[in-house]
Amino acid sequence: MIARQAAAGPAILEVRNLSKRFGGLWALREVSFSVGEGQILGIIGPNGAGKSTLINLITGHLRPTSGEVLVDGKDITGARPWVIAHDRVARTFQIVKPFRGLTVRENVAIGAMNGSDPDSSVGDALATADRLLVLVGIEHLADAAPSQLSVADARRLELAKALACRPRLLLVDEVMAGLRHQEIDAAVELIHRLRDGGITIVVVEHVMKAIVSISDHVLVLHHGTVLAEGPPREVLADQRVVEAYLGHRYARRRSP
Amino acid sequence: MSQFLQAAAYGLVQGGLLALVAVGFSLVWGIMNVVNLSHGALAVTGAYLAWQLNVHFGIDPFLAIPVVAICMFGFGYVLQRGLINLVVNAPIFLTLLLTFGLGLVILNLLQLLYTADDRSIDTSYASQSFAISTVNIPYGRLGASLVAVAVTVLLALVMTRTRLGRAIGATGMDRGAARLMGIRARHVYAITFGISAALAGIAGTMIATVGSFNPTSTPSQLTLDAFVISVLGGLGNMYGALVGGLVLGVAESLGGLLLTGTWVNAIAMAVLIVTLVIRPTGLIGKAQYSGRVEV
Amino acid sequence: MTTAAPNAGGAAAILERHRHGRQERLAAWLRSRTLANSWQWLAGLVIFIVMLGLQQVMDPGTQRLLTSVFLFVALAQGWNIIGGYTGYASFGQVVFFGLGAYTVAVLMNNYHVSFWASMPVAILVGVAFAVAIGIPLLRLRGHYFAIATLGAAEGSREVINNMTPVTGGGLGITIPTFGAQAPTAYFGKPGFYLAFLIVAAGAVLIAAVLSRSRFGYAMVAVHQDEDAAAGVGINTTRVKVVAFAVSAAIVACAGGLYAFQQIEFYPTDVFDANFTVLMVIMVVIGGSGSVLGPLVGAVGLELLAQFLRVNLGTYNQLIFGAIIVVVVVFFPQGVVNFFRDAWRTRQFSLLDNVRRYRL
Repeated sequence: MIARQAAAGPAILEVRNLSKRFGGLWALREVSFSVGEGQILGIIGPNGAGKSTLINLITGHLRPTSGEVLVDGKDITGARPWVIAHDRVARTFQIVKPFRGLTVRENVAIGAMNGSDPDSSVGDALATADRLLVLVGIEHLADAAPSQLSVADARRLELAKALACRPRLLLVDEVMAGLRHQEIDAAVELIHRLRDGGITIVVVEHVMKAIVSISDHVLVLHHGTVLAEGPPREVLADQRVVEAYLGHRYARRRSP
Repeated sequence: MSQFLQAAAYGLVQGGLLALVAVGFSLVWGIMNVVNLSHGALAVTGAYLAWQLNVHFGIDPFLAIPVVAICMFGFGYVLQRGLINLVVNAPIFLTLLLTFGLGLVILNLLQLLYTADDRSIDTSYASQSFAISTVNIPYGRLGASLVAVAVTVLLALVMTRTRLGRAIGATGMDRGAARLMGIRARHVYAITFGISAALAGIAGTMIATVGSFNPTSTPSQLTLDAFVISVLGGLGNMYGALVGGLVLGVAESLGGLLLTGTWVNAIAMAVLIVTLVIRPTGLIGKAQYSGRVEV
Repeated sequence: MTTAAPNAGGAAAILERHRHGRQERLAAWLRSRTLANSWQWLAGLVIFIVMLGLQQVMDPGTQRLLTSVFLFVALAQGWNIIGGYTGYASFGQVVFFGLGAYTVAVLMNNYHVSFWASMPVAILVGVAFAVAIGIPLLRLRGHYFAIATLGAAEGSREVINNMTPVTGGGLGITIPTFGAQAPTAYFGKPGFYLAFLIVAAGAVLIAAVLSRSRFGYAMVAVHQDEDAAAGVGINTTRVKVVAFAVSAAIVACAGGLYAFQQIEFYPTDVFDANFTVLMVIMVVIGGSGSVLGPLVGAVGLELLAQFLRVNLGTYNQLIFGAIIVVVVVFFPQGVVNFFRDAWRTRQFSLLDNVRRYRL
């Protein structure tokens, strides 16, 4: 199923027939979609649907079994993660991966030193890090160790690290899990700000409230294939999606 | 041709002996993720124990095996519980260093007690051999190989059929989950290490019977052999260690036929490296614990 | 819960890299060169000058002792780059020592090349070998990498041992040092003191510069979380191979100088696994991941080892082994790091430290 092009700019990310097999298990099968510049695409799906695998395939941490990934028209299928990072694609990890021995500021600075268009000196990178910490709202923790951060703050650090690579495309992997209501609202607001700053964002999420308020367009993955896609409200009302999440019986009960 | 067969046969029985050295090493590595660089020193300790029993009480080494095994088991248990346990959670080079230092201490103590002279246990039968057509098979090594097979089978049975064995296996696969199930991990680790030390002791006893040993060069040679075999056979895989030992024994024996000097050692190292690069989980066997989760 | 919200344009502005002019950057650099930032470099310079000056008043015994201390300072710094910073604990680093030594020896003995020309070749050989085995081996992690490098070291010794026509094999090799035969005049004790001091200083300098640079941060990132490092744009393969090569260069350089100093040696002398163990234990004792740690470890341990060798003769290996065990148990993170953390948190309990890594 090829996605309908939303009204925004040309496609920054295009995924064609992407598949990944682990031994006998197809984690992802013939998934295709595209994301226009300045859009926010939400990807939802029950556990095990293949969402994280999809992100890993796009960012080069996994090699696809077949299919293609194009960023800005350039084929990056199977490229190493750092090459893709230099192509201005950044991601956060679902289980946060901070550099433990370094301070929060240094963590972000590493992204600034090594991403696309990197800062040429450590000092510059640390200054960039400071600005990014202000953007995500944890500048008061700049000298702290990552292990001391709360869950919400650790997620912000992940975001800041990714942003330090100066991406045009940002992939966010379940950043809202375990957050309280106000924290979710703050995260949604941050993502909107990033989009307004010109970054195209793909958000993988479980938290429905967030998906509805963030996404221009939603893709539903189930058992590795695209189950449905379209504007958020439409997708969430879709019978098949309800069934996939809540089970056959519940879906039948709700059907008119 | 008969030279080839002779070398192959010799390699097989020699390989059985090598496997015996490796089984304990592989067990500890697989279950506890500890590379015990003092394994060779423990084997030589067992050798000296058996030698003492032989010299002072006239006990035949094959009969001394249970005694050596029990003594070394106790020693190993205490070592693990008291010392090695302290660095189980540390980065690998710390456990490597600790066991290396431990090995140094052990072998230097042995050297002080017994001097660096070569020793061996002389039995009437070990150096004799029987012949199958043109091939001579030495009794001593054959006996050692049979012991190796028996011990491996016994160990495998213990691991799969007994509660203790399964507790050990579970702890090896996922220590956190095992502890949540009520398994006392420290005790299990200590038992595992004790078993490994006992196996090392038995191996040492056999080595003393078929050849000579000393506290300076034998320990490191044995530890290195144990490395190679463990990697070949897959970590924690008992039968893999057995097969790996046989393969190494035959390879070294045939290699000695075809190549001169110490090229054989270089080839063994090359095999090791190639194995690690291509299939670190084991060329012949398969590592039991590659999907390990550490808690 | 959050702090002030920057404007929407903020994100875009931040993502544009500030392009500083050269003047601006120079001014900023000069400003940052306060005494607070530079005292380490000054201290290093002072120590170097002191070591130079003291040579005049030192007796030959002390000179010899310090020469070997300098050797180990260089080796420890070299190992620390791949093992401490990058986190790939190589247990075969001595292979570069041996290769450096044999390159110098073979060139000087067989081809009458001067020492000064042989040394760069020795370093190049070390780097080339590091790249050659690094690319396949650095894909391995943890124990596997340690053993593979150990295997490489053992295997290389065997190969050198068997290349008798070139290297003299098991009979050893001798560098000609007398009269017309000698391609370069022998330095003598004072000369080697100076040479090893320079090599040690060079190693410390390289480590210091590297650790503060972008590359240094990349090494640490690779060590802490290789996947995350790759995700932020670090070419992890290149970082690992370069770190390995730099480490090899330092160790090979030390090896080449050692060869000239020893004049004659056997493969087992320069491919001795004990060198690797010493390198590792010095870094561990001192504390990996810093420049000071290996320095402290090397100086402390070598002085201790000499003391033991002189005073305790036969027992020295035994005590050495016991010391390794004690240090690993009580200072697993290294003495320097222990005191740094203890100073910060005011907790000096050794007993707590012992419990750090136990099950």
